[in-house]
Amino acid sequence: MKRVLHLMKKELLELRQDPRLFSIVILAPIIQLNVLGYAATTDVKDIPLAIVDADRSTASRQLVHRFEGSANFKIVAMPGSTSEIDPYLDGGKAWMVLSIPPDYGRKVGAGRPTTIQLVADGTDSNSTGVAMGYAQALIGGYVQDLAAEAGQPVTGLVQPEIQVWFNPRLESRDFMIPGIVALLLLVITTNLSAMAIVREKEAGTLEQLNVTPLARWELITGKLLPYAFIGIIDVILVLIVAIYWFEVPMRGSIPLLFGMCLIYLLSTLGLGLFVSTISQTQQQAMMTSIFFFLTPMIYLSGFIFPIENMPWWIQPFTYLIPLRYFLVIVRGIFQKGIGLEILWPQAVALFAWGLGMLTLATLRSSKRLG
Amino acid sequence: MRKTLAVASKELRQILRDRRSLLILLFVPAFFLLLYGYALNFDIRNVTLAVQDKDRSTKSRELVSSFVNSGYFSLVGYVDSPAELDRLVDLGRVRTILSIPADFERDLSVRKPVVVQVIIDGDNANTASTVSGYARTLIGEYSSAQMKVLMTVPGSRLPVPVVTVEPRIWYNPQLRSTLFLVPGLIAYISMITAVVSTALSVVREKERGTMEQVRMAPLSPLPYIIGKTMPYFVISFVSAILVILSAMLLFELPMRGSWLLLCIAIGLFLIGAQAQGLLISTIAETQQVAFQVALLSSLLPTMILSGFIFPITSMPIVVQWITHVVPARYFLVALRSIVLKGADITAFWQELVALAIFASVALGLASLRLWREWA
Amino acid sequence: MTNIPPHDLESASQGPRLAIDVRGLTRRFGAFVAVDDLSFSVEQGEIFGFLGANGAGKSTTIRMLCGLLKPTSGTALVGGIDVSRDPEGVKRAIGYMSQKFSLYEALTVDQNIEFFGGIYGLAGARFAERRKFVLEMAGLHGREDTLTRDLPGGWRQRLALGCAILHEPRIVFLDEPTGGVDPLSRRRFWDLIGDLSHRGVTVLVTTHYLDEAEHCHRIAIIQAGKLAALGTATELKQVFSSRPILEIHASQPVQAMSILDNNPNVEKTSLFGTSVHAVLKSASLDPSVLAQALRAEGIEVSSIGAVTPSLEDVFLDVVERVGAA
Repeated sequence: MKRVLHLMKKELLELRQDPRLFSIVILAPIIQLNVLGYAATTDVKDIPLAIVDADRSTASRQLVHRFEGSANFKIVAMPGSTSEIDPYLDGGKAWMVLSIPPDYGRKVGAGRPTTIQLVADGTDSNSTGVAMGYAQALIGGYVQDLAAEAGQPVTGLVQPEIQVWFNPRLESRDFMIPGIVALLLLVITTNLSAMAIVREKEAGTLEQLNVTPLARWELITGKLLPYAFIGIIDVILVLIVAIYWFEVPMRGSIPLLFGMCLIYLLSTLGLGLFVSTISQTQQQAMMTSIFFFLTPMIYLSGFIFPIENMPWWIQPFTYLIPLRYFLVIVRGIFQKGIGLEILWPQAVALFAWGLGMLTLATLRSSKRLG
Repeated sequence: MRKTLAVASKELRQILRDRRSLLILLFVPAFFLLLYGYALNFDIRNVTLAVQDKDRSTKSRELVSSFVNSGYFSLVGYVDSPAELDRLVDLGRVRTILSIPADFERDLSVRKPVVVQVIIDGDNANTASTVSGYARTLIGEYSSAQMKVLMTVPGSRLPVPVVTVEPRIWYNPQLRSTLFLVPGLIAYISMITAVVSTALSVVREKERGTMEQVRMAPLSPLPYIIGKTMPYFVISFVSAILVILSAMLLFELPMRGSWLLLCIAIGLFLIGAQAQGLLISTIAETQQVAFQVALLSSLLPTMILSGFIFPITSMPIVVQWITHVVPARYFLVALRSIVLKGADITAFWQELVALAIFASVALGLASLRLWREWA
Repeated sequence: MTNIPPHDLESASQGPRLAIDVRGLTRRFGAFVAVDDLSFSVEQGEIFGFLGANGAGKSTTIRMLCGLLKPTSGTALVGGIDVSRDPEGVKRAIGYMSQKFSLYEALTVDQNIEFFGGIYGLAGARFAERRKFVLEMAGLHGREDTLTRDLPGGWRQRLALGCAILHEPRIVFLDEPTGGVDPLSRRRFWDLIGDLSHRGVTVLVTTHYLDEAEHCHRIAIIQAGKLAALGTATELKQVFSSRPILEIHASQPVQAMSILDNNPNVEKTSLFGTSVHAVLKSASLDPSVLAQALRAEGIEVSSIGAVTPSLEDVFLDVVERVGAA
């Protein structure tokens, strides 16, 4: 056991070689969480809209005014005619173009039906759907007011009232930030430990260690603990930012969350150490961890892309991803305040994963070549 | 020029020796495009829907049909009591509830605006907002249709303004999210490949001490930098083309624009990405730090700040400023414009310029950094 | 599994007489045979030299003896412990200094000593004593807080040696310990090795500095994985007892060499610095005969005379013979 302590001390001394590493692992999570936390929003606002008002009547200007006043839209251009709209849509400068026909005002005044065209950039299918919805609702309300002004009750008008349960703010941030916390911890701690063993391989000091009485499990543990220590600091930092800065509602138990983070760290560090034992150079470790582990985990864990949407033959593989379990845990504790009695399967899965990885790493780090 | 080539060929030889890394850089990106292209989509289909229809009239059934026929929703059943509703939501059997009030049909014809309630399970905020968008759109379309029919019925007393909306979807009429995601994936994969390949290149020499050797040679920083980037550039470029070809083959990614422009866009983007990796490499002292910084500056920012998934316009202003230094942002616009929209250069020349500026600045800074170290 | 418990350092000195006993040791890497049926033994307290060209199999052999590499076949007993069966036991009993410098450059001298001391379980008074010993041996008093990477070559090597013997192993393996080190430091290093030997420590050292090999009690020459020659320096030089070596200083050495090569009395020639060494086929030849042959071709001969064979001569001779075989 004492050997482990010596190894830990050496590891920390070595890390001091580039003191920037410490400032990075402390500052980076805070900065990243801040930037990404604000960025990762599915709320759609300030939708860039171009309006072609071929009519320029009082009525059309009224309609334009409606869109101007809406927080959902931002008018970026008012091209003179429909032949000019292409560059805006092609270049992504406007998502939607509202086209008011030249006889609009006349028809409205005469009480005759008229149609306005709404052209949308379909490439972002998600946002398009949402944007169209807003546009429809806005026009619907406008029509209602028109009719009211004309003293006419409106027939056939159906307006939706949307209620969202569990997330009445529909503040997507409350949903995304716990996810980003999980992601940041994964990215930072996995690659910290991924370099740990392979660095010594490259430098040649691993051979010297192999000739000493240091046991394999002592090597792995000695490498694990200093990074676990750093990881815990990161956990505390990101939780503080999430809860006190972003004020993500925390309905569950903070100690429980902290405990779960520790188990999570076990799996991320274990993964990193394992990668370290299967790589010959630091370059290989980096590429292996990014391409084969981090990227698939981020995409397939349910962080953004729902697992239910994935083809049936991919879904079983997602059970192998520790991030998947941790997302359930962290979102559950934040959003729904659930406790260990519900989350224990995820906790066990995470723990088993971490232990498994560490075992693999130990087995792979042979002190003697075949 | 010759010196640059000398540096480049040494670097190439080193790359070829690390067979595993080379193969990863060349082929894995295309492979992952396959994986993610199939796995990931935003298309929300078959959202479980329960209907509380207190009217049970022709009109109300029409509304329900419009929901079901859209393909977005999948009807689980009709419920009558609030208790039943609660139970289904708690169990997770139902994600959306459409609640139609009594007197729906009557109120419609009698010129009263009717309010229909839609309750959505907000468990997953992403899907919730999309589902609400669908709901609004469907109801809006239904409403437009109803207004047309009812308000132009002969015999309706006074003329009333009827404004209907005719929606048109360009470029992606079926709203396949794959077409949206695949360019993003291409950008992401290319970015990571490019940054990762160069991030360790210089700092590795620093760590091993071979940098000393290089400094001795009468070589100035810029040719050295360019020489180091060249082989990786070729590899990344080939890889990117493979990725795009795979996307076209397997995901029916259209190619509506010019290949030349596409190559230019890819080229500028990759140079910038590699320059970013190099810059990191010249600043870090150990490979460990280079790795960390490379990762933090490319992995998550490219995914979240580039407009790949989250619309930039919805982000707070400060964050929007930050996205200006994410090269993937510009590349995505150019890529989508060329590939999906068949646009010509007038539509996205600003983005190309931005990419060129990014690349030059990054290369310049890297050279400056080395120059100061070598002096 | 029969093992002598290696922990008890007191009894180690009464251990097996043969510190290292190698029989038929072989190591293959695919089709390539790096070490081919090697057999030799080393007595306790001996300085045993391993000579050979790069790639001859020296490092591979050492790695096997240290338990870092598994032999393909054959046996080796190090300190009485079977290398194949109990590599960890071997590691506890030996010290190893690798060819590539493998201390932690980012740590100070003291930190490295403390680390390796800790790994070998040294603590308290014993550690303090050993630390003092190593610092003194390496001449690093006053430099305890220097970063290892800032140490000049000779000091680094001595520190590496020191860390390898912190735990007072009875057997020490040194793989090219003086590579790239100045001659004065090399000399000092070999003084240290001699010192260890006096204390009864067995030292197996590989080198390709042939002058250093003269310090060894016995030398083994390894060529293409096989044992090409084994014996004391004197014994090895016996190959030249009937074939004297002449050293010739001539005006055009290269031409002189080719002329002598064609001479029926000369077995072979080689270039030694600016002089030519010619191995004669028999001891009965008068050197002046060769000098005349050279002058006849217009080459000036400033001196010609017999020299004591050096290990370099032996080495070249062995390599040639084995190569021809």
